[in-house]
Amino acid sequence: MWFTIKLAWRNLFRNKRRTFIAGTAIALGLASMMFTDAVMIGMKDVMIRSATGSFLGDAQIHRNEFRLTQEVEKTINNPDRITANLQKEEIVDRFTPRTLSFGMITSPANVSSVLFIGIDPETEKYLSQIDDVIREGNFFDEDNERDIVIGSKLADILEIGLGERVVITVSQAKSGDLSQEMFRVSGIYHFNIKEMDSGFALVKLAKAQEMLGIGSNVHEIAIKFRDMKVSLQEDNPFWTKYSTDDNEAVSWLTILPQMGPILGMFWISLLFMAIILFGIVAFGIINTLFMSLYERLFEFGVLRAVGTRSSGVRRLIIYEAGALAVLSCLMGIILGFIFIFIVTKTGIDYRGIEITGTTIRDILYPVFHIQQFIIYPVAVFVFTMLIGHYPAIVAGRMSISNALRKSL
Amino acid sequence: MRKFGFPSQRLFAGFLFFALLASPSLSKANAEENRAELIVKKVDELYRATTSEALVEMQIITPHWQRTLKMNAWSEGMEKTFIRILEPKKEQGMATLRIGTEMWNFLPKTNKVMKIPPSMMMSSWMGSDFTNDDLVKEFTFLESYHFEMTKPENPEDDVLYVKCIPKEGLPIVWGHIIVGVREETYMPLWQKYYDEKGKLVREMIFKDVKAFGMREIPSVMELIPTTKEGHKTVLRYNEARFDVQLDQETFTLRNLRKRM
Amino acid sequence: MLIIKMAFRNIFRQRRRTILTGLSMLVGFTLAVIFIGWGDGTYNNIIDEFTRNRLGHIQIHEKTYLDRPSLYKTIQESDDLANILDSTKGIESWTPRLFSAGLVSVGEKTAGVQILGIDPIREDQTTQFDKKILQGRNFSRIPSKEAIIGKGLAQILKAELDDEIVIISQAADGSIANDLYTIIGISSSGDDISDRSSFYLHLREAQELLVLDGRIHEIALLVKKLNHVLKTNNLLASEINNPDLSVSPWQVFAKAFYDAMQADKAGSYVMLIIIVFIVAVGVLNTVLMSVLERQREYGVMKAIGTKPKQIIKLVVIEVTILAIICIILGSGLGYGANTFLSKHGIKFGEGITYGGMKFETMKAEINLRSFLIPAVTVILCAALVSLLPAIKAARTEPAKTMRFH
Repeated sequence: MWFTIKLAWRNLFRNKRRTFIAGTAIALGLASMMFTDAVMIGMKDVMIRSATGSFLGDAQIHRNEFRLTQEVEKTINNPDRITANLQKEEIVDRFTPRTLSFGMITSPANVSSVLFIGIDPETEKYLSQIDDVIREGNFFDEDNERDIVIGSKLADILEIGLGERVVITVSQAKSGDLSQEMFRVSGIYHFNIKEMDSGFALVKLAKAQEMLGIGSNVHEIAIKFRDMKVSLQEDNPFWTKYSTDDNEAVSWLTILPQMGPILGMFWISLLFMAIILFGIVAFGIINTLFMSLYERLFEFGVLRAVGTRSSGVRRLIIYEAGALAVLSCLMGIILGFIFIFIVTKTGIDYRGIEITGTTIRDILYPVFHIQQFIIYPVAVFVFTMLIGHYPAIVAGRMSISNALRKSL
Repeated sequence: MRKFGFPSQRLFAGFLFFALLASPSLSKANAEENRAELIVKKVDELYRATTSEALVEMQIITPHWQRTLKMNAWSEGMEKTFIRILEPKKEQGMATLRIGTEMWNFLPKTNKVMKIPPSMMMSSWMGSDFTNDDLVKEFTFLESYHFEMTKPENPEDDVLYVKCIPKEGLPIVWGHIIVGVREETYMPLWQKYYDEKGKLVREMIFKDVKAFGMREIPSVMELIPTTKEGHKTVLRYNEARFDVQLDQETFTLRNLRKRM
Repeated sequence: MLIIKMAFRNIFRQRRRTILTGLSMLVGFTLAVIFIGWGDGTYNNIIDEFTRNRLGHIQIHEKTYLDRPSLYKTIQESDDLANILDSTKGIESWTPRLFSAGLVSVGEKTAGVQILGIDPIREDQTTQFDKKILQGRNFSRIPSKEAIIGKGLAQILKAELDDEIVIISQAADGSIANDLYTIIGISSSGDDISDRSSFYLHLREAQELLVLDGRIHEIALLVKKLNHVLKTNNLLASEINNPDLSVSPWQVFAKAFYDAMQADKAGSYVMLIIIVFIVAVGVLNTVLMSVLERQREYGVMKAIGTKPKQIIKLVVIEVTILAIICIILGSGLGYGANTFLSKHGIKFGEGITYGGMKFETMKAEINLRSFLIPAVTVILCAALVSLLPAIKAARTEPAKTMRFH
């Protein structure tokens, strides 16, 4: 057997060009499969991030029913304990507390209703992109408790600019008494999305808590996972762990349910396309192998003529296929790695798309995953070997004279 | 934006301000520095009245429509207000009761009493140009500003100008306010509201001084938002009585439901 | 021409080789066709589902309404406009709407709402409003003081069917609008947030309430073919020919959604490039091999006097003809496959019904580019790749190539 294997290898290198062409074709096929896999993983991340990254976060914790009624009194229970636990949580990358309430914002020229949000700038900037799209001013760089950050469209409606006064009116918890405070616009952000640019007014957490009369409580804790796919895992213990004490921990999917079906459709559609791709690659391998083996039927005829048995010829061909497979897979792995690596550095830039203004660009990064380096090469290897059986059997069965006569 | 709040005690605070201003017992202060504050102090004190009852007409002018509402209004201190709309026909019988921070509307057409959620109270007053600024203020005018006498470029004879600058940290959007009063009587002529950039954003003009019982006051208040073209609100006091004994039943839900 | 005849004969002479070479082109081409048809199909599926649900494909407003909505920026209803909408090519259906804000009350509870005045029949035709009604029913044809509320709103108000609901708002003439209605339906639009504040009235009743008789804020319409949305939009705008009205496609009024879709489209471009690449490699590979291994043949031809140029021509033409045959066959197969997929699609799971949107099947689409791109790829690759060895073949000495290798 070893002899046959040695022979197989030598045959492979005898005709370098043929081996090279066949091997490269298979290698490229493998590399493409690996690359596609990496891109698809990256794409899923991008798709999710595009829905959640601007403000929502991967998951949120609220008091039960807060999402429905938006009552100011419904603050999270035991926030300190939750915060402490989240700090220790492996899967959690970052989190940030917020107060949320609807209120009115007044300027000398106009008045508008607004979602009044109290934030902790230090932790908030990891969760929302507002700090990345600040157009004028800054995102709470100063330690001023009267700083307020609003969207560009809201600034237009209020006819107000940086440094000018606004008054926020909200109703307090329990009493419903109105609470008013003056703020100065310290930052204006611009997502280039009408709803986001007109709907929010952000201030420091402590000030919001004071105005709402909720002490040190908050309405929401927004969470970013290390691996955002956790947010899609319905059965992850995270949800039940934090949905105690009359609180609920939900992923963005629950908050934005309309995204679910849309994402689902995309995903299935991508899957289908990947299958087609793999089909093309598989076919390419078949084709390549057949051609390289068929054209050497004469050679195998000679072998048979000098006495090699059919089984021997069969084995030789199969080993050759195997050797070619090993070679191609190795080459493919290296090529695949290079492709993925390069694009990991450059990213796939969505050019010319103004999703979130000029400072943010959704860049798709392919993601390395061990399965790419194991599953696909193994699959290609096995497949190639299997395919090799067909010409092997044909060559084994063919009468010697026919073989000698054959050329492709 | 939701548009339905009903006049609050603020209106009557303002109303009373003018009612008592005309009191002949006012004496003039001597020092300039104190004069400004004195003027405003008198003004501020005039907000406080035990009760009032008035017949008010409000004309609202917008680029899209014009309407005049006639209403009957009662107040007790700063806490309680009751308003009944008399005209036009469509709104006739509508009533509003406000006690503290709670507010209810009665709609005769549907025979329903609707409680207004606190958040809704911060809205434009019946489509007029009075804003929530005028509706809900915890601090009085006197406590909220610094005052100084001032003179504009071309001062008119016989007019005193007081500049009011909001104290830092208070929930006030204005950059400053200038009040113009008659030198002799301290009768207010107008109030001009400026934003911080110095642009005139709103103007309130007082006209038609009349006697209501013992007092002489401007019976007409015109509010003009200078940045919005074609908008104006005019409040006219046809009749008024002050510090009178009011029926305790006035400020009740039952009264709300009563059909006139 | 002799060369072409020879090319054809060569092709059919070596069936196995031809089949192998051809197969790679055929399969590659066909799969690429399906890939693109499928990709385009699902992209449009998603857009269609999303916009059909509530927004429509095209919307007409007063010209500044989209930027700053206002109660007063209205469109005058008119028979002329209706006729234009009914008769313009490419429009499937249309529906008028009226919007305002208000405060509603059921029993002791009050909530702020968005008032939506709709034409029940047209709205159902256009956005399948009927399907969105979870409990109760759609409006009666004749306005009868009925209201439909979003399910979130029903929860906030603790309201049920047949409850009385009062609304107060400001009418367009400045007067206070208020009236009493009966809740006859509770709806779910798929957007939970808007369901918390959705208050639907029959259009005529909304107009009466707000003193906006004969006026509306928006006309939403559906086009027959999503691909023609921009074309239809412009056609409609020119038919209407009214500078006070703006006719906008979904890409404008649903800009955020559009941007998100564009982003995803960019992602699938990447996949497309990969597929084209693979197909190219497949074609290159097999053509190269087949041409290379026929060196001896070409050597013989040269030996008997064929000019190098002719050999090149022969090789290239042979491969190109094969490519064309494959493309024709592949088009047939691809067309068949895509047609099947566009009619039946692929069901996934049990489907998800969501606020009237049904996500069950995804369909492919038949369009030109799904055939054009693969065709160009295959022909170009084939022709180019055969050139090199052809030149090589044409150049080598006959003696060399005729030796065994």
